[in-house]
Amino acid sequence: MPALARADLEALLRTKQLDRTLTTPAPAELPHLHDDFAVAPAGVPALDTALAGGFPRGQLSEIVGSPSSGRTSLVLHMLAAATARGELVALVDALDRFDVASGAAAGTDVDRLLWIRGRVIERPGPCREANHRALEQAVQALALVLHSGVFGLVIFDIADAPPQTLRRLSFTTWLRVQRMVEGGHTACVLVGAEHLARSSAGLTLQVKGGMRAFAGFDMEARIIRARDRDHEPLCVSVSATCV
Amino acid sequence: MNRFACLYLPPASDGSLPNPAQLLDMADAYSPRAEQVGNDLVVFDIKGLARMFGTAEAIGAALRRDAVTRGIEAHVAIAGTRVAALVLARARPGPTIVAPGDEAAALAPLPIEALERLVPSDPLHDFTRILTSWGVRTLGELAAMPSADLAARLGQTGRLWQAMARGEDRRPLVPRRPEERFEASLDLDWPIDGLEPLSFVLTRLLEPLALQLERRDRGAAVVHVVLRLVSREIHQRSLQLPSPIRDARTLRTLALLDLESHPPAAAIDRVTIVIDPTPGRVLQHTLFAHAHPKPESLSTLLARLGALMGSDRIGAPAALDTDRPGAFAMRPFRTDWSVAPSHPRTSAPSHPRVCVVSALRRCRHPVPARVALQDGRPVRVTTERSGFEGGGVRTCTGPWRTSGDWWTRGWNHHEWDVELSTGVAYRIFHDRDRGGWFIDAIAD
Repeated sequence: MPALARADLEALLRTKQLDRTLTTPAPAELPHLHDDFAVAPAGVPALDTALAGGFPRGQLSEIVGSPSSGRTSLVLHMLAAATARGELVALVDALDRFDVASGAAAGTDVDRLLWIRGRVIERPGPCREANHRALEQAVQALALVLHSGVFGLVIFDIADAPPQTLRRLSFTTWLRVQRMVEGGHTACVLVGAEHLARSSAGLTLQVKGGMRAFAGFDMEARIIRARDRDHEPLCVSVSATCV
Repeated sequence: MNRFACLYLPPASDGSLPNPAQLLDMADAYSPRAEQVGNDLVVFDIKGLARMFGTAEAIGAALRRDAVTRGIEAHVAIAGTRVAALVLARARPGPTIVAPGDEAAALAPLPIEALERLVPSDPLHDFTRILTSWGVRTLGELAAMPSADLAARLGQTGRLWQAMARGEDRRPLVPRRPEERFEASLDLDWPIDGLEPLSFVLTRLLEPLALQLERRDRGAAVVHVVLRLVSREIHQRSLQLPSPIRDARTLRTLALLDLESHPPAAAIDRVTIVIDPTPGRVLQHTLFAHAHPKPESLSTLLARLGALMGSDRIGAPAALDTDRPGAFAMRPFRTDWSVAPSHPRTSAPSHPRVCVVSALRRCRHPVPARVALQDGRPVRVTTERSGFEGGGVRTCTGPWRTSGDWWTRGWNHHEWDVELSTGVAYRIFHDRDRGGWFIDAIAD
């Protein structure tokens, strides 16, 4: 009887022209035919292909890497790609490290970029409390920007922030940020030296790279713990020009 | 059926100038749709007045009596078109009453000069002289000329003259609107100290003003908040809004955020809001692109961020026309974005290499460093600053000399780009004026 039942079911599926639905795997997603309303493309084709379109919107993602690994170049490229799409973007720059000339040279439409300059300093000395307040202020600014929901891409740059200052943040901080960004069309990206926080459906992009004497990067990006994504290291070769 | 009345104040015998307010006041007593043409002419719509006064003759007589009562020696004319009423009022003391459809006949015997001042002047042509030289002396003769031939010789202005000679209106009456003042104030029984109670007062004042703005299709360009304090001082703040806003809650939030940064020195016993209006916005959205945010949302966000971070710390960056390393300016972030342009989906290049500009991370305050030199080139860079790695120099390029602003204690540097053995790349410089090495930026 089970064999007969199976034959009946297959005949029914054939009649309804659904016979390949359950047996054929879904076609692989064509590169670059992604939905711009679901992801924010980074603007680097190799990376976007590996990320299935780009950084997911409505999620908290992160780009981590050591100094000179190319994370800022990647961020500027993302900002340029987003502004080229006509989106408004925001950069919460906790340590005030953004170089306007680099941003303009990367092709960012600076009119569409809201730059929020933080007051965190690398060497707080005896003013550690002030530094902690400044970082909390930057997080509050990030919360305001995310709450408004008007930006397509929001970058929170805390690379180079003193680790002890980061550790003093409340452990619920990133959870609250995740909650704020969820469900919206904003792609929120943290930029840091090490893994800090990520939404469950967000992604962490670990960037390893090497400067070639200010003439370019060989960037290796590894996607970490993203659901249903390839965990293999992804090598992206990026040529660069110096400003 | 349209009916227009016109009041004309002829020049006084003593040469005194006419008072336009007198005529306007009189016209306002009869109709809200009045248009002033110069200081001595007012034309207004009297459609519907027949139910109050009766015939047009009765209206004319009433106007004349009223003018005498007010001490005005005004000419009165009533006609079916605006132009006919204007011309007849200037030509005859009246009251001149023209039945609808008889405008051309009523104007026909008047001389050509009756149209002067009512039509736009042409600096190249003296139409009165030209028409007189053709033998055309009355408006009737001008009205009877072939329109096409007249236009061929005198252009569109000639056609306009002829239309007026026939008593035809080329444009409707444009009523004068009194300047509406958007102002509200409230005297408080008990002085208030603090922003929370003030927010209720602001809401109470702003809501009717927002409604008034909406009815007039206006938005607020500037909001003046005038607070009279118990110390009899006036605390006044003016909010320049980047785009027209008429949402009461947004205006209240912006006013409160501004008062948070600039609080009054004492308790408040009178609150006055004055709004400078500007025409409202017209937006056309599209189905195929993200709609840009409302200016109200962005203005509120920027005000909140300004209160949190300081208004000098937020905005849109702008590069400056200078060679000074890291120079930039902050401009106010635009809030009046139109709809995002739809962008065609571009196909990706076939090769994975893309050109990315290597970015710098600027140290706003250059980090002091120790640099060991060999043959004039850096071989080792170290710094005591935590977070900045030091080490031997693997490769370096430079020096590039850069200097400027010598008249204002500017900069005079020798710049080097160095890549350390640890993989970190810095832009360092030697300060030629003050001595010492500094890390200016990290290449990242």
